[in-house]
Amino acid sequence: MNSFSRRRFLGVLGGGIAVAALAGCSTHQPGGASSGSSGAGDLSSNKVGAMDAFAADAQFKATAPLDFGMMMLNNPNYPYKANWEFFTDLKQMTNVSVSATTIPQSDYPTKVGVMVGAGDAPAIIPKTYHPAEQAYISSGAILAVSDYLDLMPNLTATVQNWNLDSDLDTLRGPDGKFYLLPGLHENVWVDYSIAVRSDILQKHGIDVPGTWDEFTTMLQALKTAYPSLYPFSDRWSSTQPGPGANSLLATLGNAYNTHAGWNYQHQTWDASQGQFVYTGATDDYKAMVTLLNSWVNQKLLDPASFTQSDAQAEQKFADSQSFVISANAQEVVNTYEKDLTGVAGATVLKIPVPIGPAGAVNIGSRIECGVMISSSARKSPNFVAMMQFLDWLYYSEAGKMYAKWGVQGQTYTGSVDDGTFKLAPDVNWGGLNPSGTKQLNVDYGFFNGVFAYGGSSNLLNSQFPPAEQVFQKVMNQRKTLPLDPPAPFDDQQQQQTTLWATALLDSVNQNTLKFILGQRPLSEWDQYVSELGGLNSKQYIDAVNQAYQTYKKAHG
Amino acid sequence: MVAVSETGVAPVGAPVVRRRIQTSRGYRVFQVVNALILTAVMVITLYPFINLLAQSFSAQGAIAAGRVNLIPKGFNLTTYKTVMADPTFWENYRNTVVYTVVATLIAMVLTTCYAYVLSKKNVKGRGFLIGIAVFTMFFNGGLIPNYVLVNDLGLRNSIWAIVLPNAISVFNLLVMKAFFESLPGELEEAAMVDGLNTYGILWRIVLPLSKAVLATMVLFYAVTFWNSWFSAFLYMDNNSMFPVTVYLRNLIAGATGGTDQSASGDTALQVAANIQAVTIVLTVIPILSIYPFIQRYFVSGVMLGAVKG
Repeated sequence: MNSFSRRRFLGVLGGGIAVAALAGCSTHQPGGASSGSSGAGDLSSNKVGAMDAFAADAQFKATAPLDFGMMMLNNPNYPYKANWEFFTDLKQMTNVSVSATTIPQSDYPTKVGVMVGAGDAPAIIPKTYHPAEQAYISSGAILAVSDYLDLMPNLTATVQNWNLDSDLDTLRGPDGKFYLLPGLHENVWVDYSIAVRSDILQKHGIDVPGTWDEFTTMLQALKTAYPSLYPFSDRWSSTQPGPGANSLLATLGNAYNTHAGWNYQHQTWDASQGQFVYTGATDDYKAMVTLLNSWVNQKLLDPASFTQSDAQAEQKFADSQSFVISANAQEVVNTYEKDLTGVAGATVLKIPVPIGPAGAVNIGSRIECGVMISSSARKSPNFVAMMQFLDWLYYSEAGKMYAKWGVQGQTYTGSVDDGTFKLAPDVNWGGLNPSGTKQLNVDYGFFNGVFAYGGSSNLLNSQFPPAEQVFQKVMNQRKTLPLDPPAPFDDQQQQQTTLWATALLDSVNQNTLKFILGQRPLSEWDQYVSELGGLNSKQYIDAVNQAYQTYKKAHG
Repeated sequence: MVAVSETGVAPVGAPVVRRRIQTSRGYRVFQVVNALILTAVMVITLYPFINLLAQSFSAQGAIAAGRVNLIPKGFNLTTYKTVMADPTFWENYRNTVVYTVVATLIAMVLTTCYAYVLSKKNVKGRGFLIGIAVFTMFFNGGLIPNYVLVNDLGLRNSIWAIVLPNAISVFNLLVMKAFFESLPGELEEAAMVDGLNTYGILWRIVLPLSKAVLATMVLFYAVTFWNSWFSAFLYMDNNSMFPVTVYLRNLIAGATGGTDQSASGDTALQVAANIQAVTIVLTVIPILSIYPFIQRYFVSGVMLGAVKG
């Protein structure tokens, strides 16, 4: 009897909890009301503090003191301070103060997810990487910002001037809207390439390679000079979704007209057929894998490149156990050159990305991370002012310059457009002015990843040391290829393809590695392709092509 | 070595006789092998910590080149000075101490009271009380509902968001209950005859007899709260309220950047390895210095409730 009543109690308790949870689901949909509406709707009650004559390149200043809630990613390299000059000057300029919810960088997306999911997020949610925002769309927690572009003259002017429409299209969902205000670049910013020990090349009279064929020749020459070493030992293996050495694969993928490494995506646009094809099964992908396999066979590329930690790869490079490693601008300055200070005469050069079968092209999006807006902000009387404020800060020339370099005459002098830009004598950032005693980000709060996104090529170049500017100049002369057309999944397609995607990705990654390392002969390529078929690669691509057609019909 | 008789006392004037238990050859081999294995385990356990200690006194360049093992290379105290000069570090450190002390105190009071009630077989509704505790071991509301609850109770951005939801660990509760059950009931009956009420019995009879389990529970709770970071991370919106574990976690995450492809270059910055090492050492020191003194209770505590007669 006793145990019966206990069970009954637990049953009732469990049932009660389930009912409460379901009830919670149905009643607690944060900001759900505004998400389904089309267009901006009536904004007359949301204009408190807004400027009547706000236009592109005009200075934004709220007509009444305003305060906006904002998530603040706390970077351990420059921990957040509420009294940064960035905030005090911003208040003077725009009449806006910011109430920050400080979130450690280590787990930023987790807390954003919880706060947005709980309907408790501040109005402004920066530092969101596409497609992270898509997880919140169906709950209606975030705003379809594309409905409010008329409030943002700087953004619309930038899109028009830099011809960014096709880049913006990549953000759009099946409803044709986008939910993220992205950072916008004037040009494709190529940061990742390969670093080589230029002193070693010079010592043995080896030329800096311009193409991947010459790159192979360089590796062979290094191998001849140092027969016991692997000249190339690579890093960045822990980053999803690639199988290892993900930066190298991504760079090579671009050169071979395909997607690989951390740029891997299941579909690749085939312009000649006018449809998408499955990336891991294409001839271009095979050609890339074949090249890597030949490097491993000739012992030019360390097989550990695909598994070792970054620190291990860096150590080999620092100990002159290898001479070639993947790189970005920061890593060259902050890691490789620093680690090699003990080696007399050692110099590091980040070479322009070698050219492959795709030709001298840049591939990539001109969009970086962006800002989400909570749906609840739409109901605020200050909504219009907030959008104007964001437009000024993130998209106007003056706003971008302020967020990045601070105040002219105080933290910097000159202009980025005519090349006269210089940091003030006492200010340093990223080693640009080593004699400066104050750090632009730590002490002033400028050049903060939360506020400084995108910008013109001139603005971007101003942050680079001379060697990197040379690299950027070479890369900017290359032709930028158009992006793949948009093919956004609807919810059902999303769910279905997600089920297929994991098994497909695992198979592509495993076999890519096996082919490269010679554990599976390349003669079995066709068998591998049919294995992919067994894992629904065709169904996946059919879904993508269907989504593409649907979007094309609806939105042109 | 002092010779002893079988009774353990050397009789006065008796000739000194060495007696010891004859150990078989196999047992001696076992002892040597055992000692070797345990030494190896100790080395494996100790090595990372000594390496960390060495890194904390070393120069960044030496660490990056992988030259630091057990002995610091490029010995310096600059990193210690730098880390210790950061006011946020100390502020967060103080938070950790406060959170740990308050949370442990409250957790001890609540767990003891609850466990004592559960140990009384004649309490009405005992099964129900055990049931709702054990239920939470297997089911919970999930991340977002918990967040909504804590938020709606107005606990966010206060110490209570860390203390209250974690005040009773069901595992600790059951261990304590088992211990209380193993105390002889006659003691409490005698105390009752002498006129003590329930609270008096708990306070004057049961608790003084339960020092081992109390010490163990304090250690369990204190270590858990000292190491915990997620509650604080979730419910605190301000740097000045974080415990040092969140500070540390963020610092270490800062060293694994560089994979962020599209950021404007700033997330690729790395926190130097020696700064990480120093911070870890400073954070571990208090637990490390308390542990040896409570360790004997810890060992006996782990056995609590394991055997019941």
